[in-house]
Amino acid sequence: MNFLKELLKGLWKENPTFRIVLGMCPTLAVTTSVENGLGMGIAATFVLICSNMVISAIRNIVPSKVRIPCYIVVIATFVIVVELIMKAYAPVLHKNLGIFIPLIVVNCIILGRAEAFASKNSVILSAADGIGMGLGFTMALVVIGVCREILGAGTITIWGGKAMQIHNVDPMILMVLAPGGFFMLGCLLGLMNHIQSFMAKRQGHSYAPPKNMDCRHCTICKWGK
Amino acid sequence: MKEFLKLVVILTVICTLAGGILAFVYKATKEQIKLVEHAASIAAINQVLPPCDNVPAENTCTFDENGKSWTFYVARKDGQFAGAAFKSTSSKGYAGDIAIMTGINAQGNINALVILDHKETPGLGANIQKPGFKSQFTGKSIKDTVFKVKKDGGAIDQITAATISSRAVCDAVSSGLTVFKQHEIEITNQGK
Repeated sequence: MNFLKELLKGLWKENPTFRIVLGMCPTLAVTTSVENGLGMGIAATFVLICSNMVISAIRNIVPSKVRIPCYIVVIATFVIVVELIMKAYAPVLHKNLGIFIPLIVVNCIILGRAEAFASKNSVILSAADGIGMGLGFTMALVVIGVCREILGAGTITIWGGKAMQIHNVDPMILMVLAPGGFFMLGCLLGLMNHIQSFMAKRQGHSYAPPKNMDCRHCTICKWGK
Repeated sequence: MKEFLKLVVILTVICTLAGGILAFVYKATKEQIKLVEHAASIAAINQVLPPCDNVPAENTCTFDENGKSWTFYVARKDGQFAGAAFKSTSSKGYAGDIAIMTGINAQGNINALVILDHKETPGLGANIQKPGFKSQFTGKSIKDTVFKVKKDGGAIDQITAATISSRAVCDAVSSGLTVFKQHEIEITNQGK
């Protein structure tokens, strides 16, 4: 049951993009289209699962003073191993995901989960955490990618196949550029907070803001009163 | 002092292990990666050349021009020159080099081109891969056409909001064509 709990928390309750707000750099950079978001998500999920398991396995050997360099070595090694193997045995996949793989090293979700979860929990739970967080990250990137691609390019393309196209409307190119990423991320974060507060109210609870959130400037709790 | 030693030893062991794993994986995949890359470039050569009955990837001639080495892959059909392909790179891309394989046919027109590698912005510069842009080159005479974007007085319609990427593609194509024109006789006679 614990396994399932750790797996599911990454999807909504502790979604790495919308709740923990980690890994913003790849989120903003690659979500210009659905396929880029999906590619980055899958590649990061794979590395996240592997690195979580290894870091959890060595957690009792590594002294806490040198843990961060150790984690980074483990993560960087996995990234290169994944890239080389993909290049050799899955060239089509590598062509689609290739540019995202080196970016995973700098993705702070991976180091964040290593530090916050894998270094304190068993290998199996860490694997569950990796799968859940990875899927949550992928899901978030795909959602942002869908919104930005429809608004910014008027199409949805997944690996060469056009899934849909909007005709007779000029797309807002701004949405596939860098500022569009900030706009869309802000809108979706706001929407998610709104849903959260709406659901909490319906259940009769008062809405608890995310931990460490600055309450001085936030009015979410007062909505609808 | 004891703790200090322990930290150093553990970090060294982990890094050495990681290095060993990397060296092993690199060695194990090296040959396979070479094979895959070779297959990809052969596929690109065949894609840009007109139908032929020889193996263009093996029928090559190489020239040193402008400080670079240029390899032309020559296609022949029934003993006649059928076309030539070359790979060229432009460093004028928006985000790094753009590598292109261009094919010329026996009539002296561009047959087709394939973008081999680029790092342009998805949704903008990356549109150089779309058929709408690439097909503009097809059928253009290499002698009479100015391979520049329309903004610079050429014949190629640049992609909206991606003029730099469009320029880089034109730059890569025309730099290769210059070498082709200089050595046209040698190239057309290659493998006769």
